[in-house]
Amino acid sequence: MSLALTAALALFTSAATTPPASETVVRPGESLAQLAARTLGSEGAGPELLAFNHLDGAPKAGTRVQVPGPERARAVAAIGSARSAIGQAPAGSARTEAEARLTEAESLLARARYAEAAAQADGAWKLLADAREERSHFAVAVEPDGRTRVAVREGVPVRVEAQGRTRAVRAGETLTVIRGETPGTPQLETPTGAPAEPPILISPEPGLKLALEPAPGGLGPVRFAWKPVQDATGYVLDLAGPRTQSIRTTQPLVTVPGLPAGRYRWTVRAMQGDGSLGPPATRAVQLVPGRIKLEVKETPWQ
Amino acid sequence: MALCLSLFVCAPACRRDAKAPPAPAPKQSVRATLAEVKGSVSVKRSTGDEWLAAVNGTALYDDDKLRTERGGSAELRFPSGTVVVVSEDTLLGIAETRAAPGRPQADVTVLRGAVDATLDRPANQSITVGTPAATVRAGREIVFQ
Repeated sequence: MSLALTAALALFTSAATTPPASETVVRPGESLAQLAARTLGSEGAGPELLAFNHLDGAPKAGTRVQVPGPERARAVAAIGSARSAIGQAPAGSARTEAEARLTEAESLLARARYAEAAAQADGAWKLLADAREERSHFAVAVEPDGRTRVAVREGVPVRVEAQGRTRAVRAGETLTVIRGETPGTPQLETPTGAPAEPPILISPEPGLKLALEPAPGGLGPVRFAWKPVQDATGYVLDLAGPRTQSIRTTQPLVTVPGLPAGRYRWTVRAMQGDGSLGPPATRAVQLVPGRIKLEVKETPWQ
Repeated sequence: MALCLSLFVCAPACRRDAKAPPAPAPKQSVRATLAEVKGSVSVKRSTGDEWLAAVNGTALYDDDKLRTERGGSAELRFPSGTVVVVSEDTLLGIAETRAAPGRPQADVTVLRGAVDATLDRPANQSITVGTPAATVRAGREIVFQ
């Protein structure tokens, strides 16, 4: 009975820890490298695929092979992080030891020992992070159009991922990501040219109810104006309301021919040479039809 | 022997006649606590539709939303020690994640505005800030899902 209990527990343990693996069939004429590229995304991962399936040689066409699941993805991610950390670490004993652990992690990955590979890679990463012993401090700002600006003030680099691509941003660097695009190249922050103050808005006046004539697109024209900001290379005006719109301009003035009636929040930011934006200034305005229809009824008054 | 083993394995699942007690309501763990609340700051629970005024000590759970108006700000303090300062005119959500056991993870989604995050011990902390354009990660990387 104790044997049965052991077997049952082993079965439970295996079911609980083994990641779900998918299956594929080797295509006619498909080489091991091609199979590895199709299933694991790398031609060089053939030996790993063989190890995962306990095969000695390349499988023939029609053979069903197991493809590793999330456990492999975790190991690959951990190795990627460790590699990135080593690439940014200064030379020293911590880096040397981390490199050795990374080599071991890659070797374990090639033998399809994913949990051990992840642990080794994580250990390499932690070794470097512990060696630094400095805090991490960064800022994230999201514009109304979703554009994201990441600025790392101090500490270890942060990772910015968009559209499947990851960039490391180091202390003193900034990175702007436009929605739907991959991250660009981090830029060194240039505090000297950075507009520290938000633009001073001029018109429309705060909370103004603006009566306007009908115009193409709604009511208009609507004129937005603000005082120039020193060292600014341009401005971004963001409108939020019945119509949401982002307008770039080089002048401290924008005239919109027509906007649907309603309440709007308008925000202006000054742009720096590297494309990053300064602090915002925001106001509200309400647009109402200005043409009042007069109906004069007959009265007994003469 | 095989029969014995299969009976053993199936026993819990095959006991259909026994009525299981009703499952207790899932108890959510606190993801973050608010501090340094200034100006107009409000919270919307994942289970509600109302924006409620936030005060120092307000606990935030998975999928709760936090909003600061102009002139408002607050600090999100996570159990890991990570601190996120929320600037004015910001809208963010507390993201639902499962971190490694014993290693709490701080996750937020910023839809509008700005946040400032500080990790005092990045070797043992991690944070993910999601935005409409990107995902920003700092600190320890591995997240077990």
